[in-house]
Amino acid sequence: MTDARVVGIGMTEFGVHDRPLPELFADAAFEAFDDAGVEGVDIDAFYLGNAMGGQTERDTHLAPTLATHVGIAGVPCQRYEDACATSSNAFKHAVRAVEAGDHDVVLVGGVERCTPTTGLDTPEMTSIFASAAHRQYEQPTGLTFPGVFGLLTTRHMHEYGTTEEELAAVAVKNHRHGTLNPRAQFGKEITVEDVLEGPVVASPFRLMDCCPFSDGAAAVVVTNDEIAGTLDGDPVGVAGIGHATDVIPLADKADLTATQSARDAASQAYEAAGTGPDDLDVVEVHDCFTGAEVLAIEALDLVEDGEGGRAAVEGLTALEGRIPVNPSGGLKAKGHPIGATGVAQLVELTEQLRGDAGDRQVEGAERALAHNLGGDAATTVVTILEGAT
Amino acid sequence: MSADESRASAPLSYDEWASALEDGELLGQRCTACGHETAAPKAACGRCGSRGLETVSLPTKGVVYSETTIAVAPAGFDGGSYRVAVIDLGEARVLARLEGDAGIGDSVEFVGSLEGREEPAPLFA
Repeated sequence: MTDARVVGIGMTEFGVHDRPLPELFADAAFEAFDDAGVEGVDIDAFYLGNAMGGQTERDTHLAPTLATHVGIAGVPCQRYEDACATSSNAFKHAVRAVEAGDHDVVLVGGVERCTPTTGLDTPEMTSIFASAAHRQYEQPTGLTFPGVFGLLTTRHMHEYGTTEEELAAVAVKNHRHGTLNPRAQFGKEITVEDVLEGPVVASPFRLMDCCPFSDGAAAVVVTNDEIAGTLDGDPVGVAGIGHATDVIPLADKADLTATQSARDAASQAYEAAGTGPDDLDVVEVHDCFTGAEVLAIEALDLVEDGEGGRAAVEGLTALEGRIPVNPSGGLKAKGHPIGATGVAQLVELTEQLRGDAGDRQVEGAERALAHNLGGDAATTVVTILEGAT
Repeated sequence: MSADESRASAPLSYDEWASALEDGELLGQRCTACGHETAAPKAACGRCGSRGLETVSLPTKGVVYSETTIAVAPAGFDGGSYRVAVIDLGEARVLARLEGDAGIGDSVEFVGSLEGREEPAPLFA
């Protein structure tokens, strides 16, 4: 076994992109190639995350199409689909292949379009997102994904007294972080009052509790430690990856507020990295809704169960807090092009560990964690990265 | 084993569950190995993996475990706000449409299947 390194990163701005997926993806892929100091001819394999292209773009068998578009036709290509945890699962398998010596230099990327550039309006896109819920036992109720997290969060509010104001504080924090990220979809600060005055999407969530529909792409180049030493890109180590699932449908979950797959994935990742929550310097979590960040920081053991709601209010998770969460702005402000999100988290954390994150840099960041959750928390992938020492 | 016996031992299918729901009965499964109950039929127990599943008629009275009011609906669900809830039936929990203003901890009753839909969903009030 060898150790895996991220040696190149790239991503588009997240927002609205009225361009075909291959063109969007190429921008991220070539940025990652250039950052690593590799050319297409150096790439041995391609791991793609795209969750919904068959439904949103009438476009499948995407991995070889994208590979061809960026000049790496012929290499083994595979595409992953795990709802919102799509491209972190692609990353996991790329890392395992490098660790096993199957491939030396691999491209991992994600791309997705979710805005009206697809020709789909809000009800149609809401329906496509809802296809990650159980086809027979959940979709016929009219459950949406804001509704899924509404159910989990309403229960958390009941059990622990979490309030709408506390949820709003998560949005306020992540919007503030987003103003420091030039690739973020939203670049303006908001107030708790702005959030609380917005229209309800699915209770307890109002419009600004929810991440936006986004288009975008992200890519990383992964290689082994030996080759990493010969390339231009400043390497970051992959210290541990955890990947766990939970039952579907959500009514069968033992505990609605635990996000058990995140707890299981975090335990695996902490053990693999030989580290724990107290050793982390910076964290990106899957804040598709404000309540999702509350559940995530508890599942990762960054705070005690029941205290997630107060974290943003007390500044604990702010850029200058005890454990900065979502310095990128998170899904909430940076945007959430589903299949690109997992890799985009790793792009942010690589920049943080390199000291390249500009105004949102967490000083001296050496160890970072990404939490990427899919569906109703039925899938979570947790990745721990470490700066070169 | 005859075909009839084989069919009798097959796990509850979606079609059987949906037909019963349209006829006003909420069916589920109990695991004969671990006792776990579900309102979403499967080929094996979602908790312990056993294939020993028996079909059960689920209670018609339950308690709201969590709820959400959905204001932005998917395509095909016109008509604005409606409520979706997880109902605790004792051993099993079920995802259902919820009529009225019951909150977490309030008692509710199974009243049939959501009307006007091709695919049935449990309705509680």
